Amino acid sequence: MREILHMLVVLSVICASSGALLVNLKQATKPQIEQQVLTYVQGPALLSVLEDRDNDPIAERAELNGVTVFPAMRDGKLVGVAVEAFAPGYSGDIGVMVGFDVNEDTLLGIGITTQTETPGLGTRIMKPSFTGQFVGHDLEDMGLKSGDGDIDGISGATYSAAGTVDAVAKAIKIYEDIKPKLETVWKAS
Amino acid sequence: MSTITKEFVKGLWDELPPFRVLLGLCPTLAVTSTAENGLGMGAAVIFVLTMSNLIISTIRKIIPPKVRIACFIVITASLVVTVELLMQAYAYPLYQKLGIFVPLIVVNCLILGRAEAFASKNGVIPSIADALGMGIGFTLSLTFLGAMREMLGNGTVFGTPVMWESFQPASFMVMAPGAFVGLGLILAGMNAFNRYLSRKKGEKEPVSQNSTCASCGACNSCGQ
Repeated sequence: MREILHMLVVLSVICASSGALLVNLKQATKPQIEQQVLTYVQGPALLSVLEDRDNDPIAERAELNGVTVFPAMRDGKLVGVAVEAFAPGYSGDIGVMVGFDVNEDTLLGIGITTQTETPGLGTRIMKPSFTGQFVGHDLEDMGLKSGDGDIDGISGATYSAAGTVDAVAKAIKIYEDIKPKLETVWKAS
Repeated sequence: MSTITKEFVKGLWDELPPFRVLLGLCPTLAVTSTAENGLGMGAAVIFVLTMSNLIISTIRKIIPPKVRIACFIVITASLVVTVELLMQAYAYPLYQKLGIFVPLIVVNCLILGRAEAFASKNGVIPSIADALGMGIGFTLSLTFLGAMREMLGNGTVFGTPVMWESFQPASFMVMAPGAFVGLGLILAGMNAFNRYLSRKKGEKEPVSQNSTCASCGACNSCGQ
């Protein structure tokens, strides 16, 4: 009996102290890890859609309506914002980072952040020949040519292209929702 | 040679973990596609091994023998999660490359092996010396294998081109089979070198590795 108690106590104490250590460590590293994930997972797509800027969009990000918004500033004025949106593609969600020009209300460009499409077919949504179509596009008519829009699809990857366009359309909706609030968060031009 | 130095040095050649005792082969084969990955993995193992040896040798007298393995696993697992979190926070690209092999340090035989065979029977200072020796030996081995594979398979070492211009990289070496081929070549080379050394000293050729593998005992079973 004494032996069993001894085992129970020692093992419990070891497990409890491990648990306590890990909880604290997890909490201490949480902001830093978030920052790293933003830099290395969304960062490349984000920085490519907000090219014309002189600030750090990741450090200055803010939550609006529960969505993380990344601002692009030039000379202290807000020139663009980027938001990420998701829509189902052929297999799993496609994440798209969409940049908006706040003065012209046009798209600055899109970048794919996460996707699990078929290699060689669906992954063509990441090629400039497809994503380039979104640069300078206005907020209307976001859809494939086969539907009610003016974006060329990709033959053999209809679902992937449609998923990307859906995600961009969602991002546009988010942008229209948050637009009135942008000026209160960052000084507009 | 004092005991401490002896415990430290044995991990560097006589009981070199991946190449002499053949412990911890999973990461050795899996992550050594570049020298940098090998070094990063080695650094993580040094940390976990040193801390686990330190903690286990400190509390070795209060750990009940019947649940010692459970205690060792809990301690190792906590340390591995610590490394994983720190790596995510401060070295995210390395974390992305090492991927699943960081959590798998928990089941690395090297760490549990040293805990069971050494730290649970020795004092704190020798245990740390043992862990540092083994860990550094492991890191150097992984970096060496990684550098060799990266050089033959990609023409670079630590990302710097080292081969002549017309060199055609054998990309086979940075893929999984290249790890086995590389490991085999290194083992053959080390055996040949050891044989040469003992012949030079006028000793009999070693029949098998007579290192003190208290943790494995496999060499006794084949009736050498």
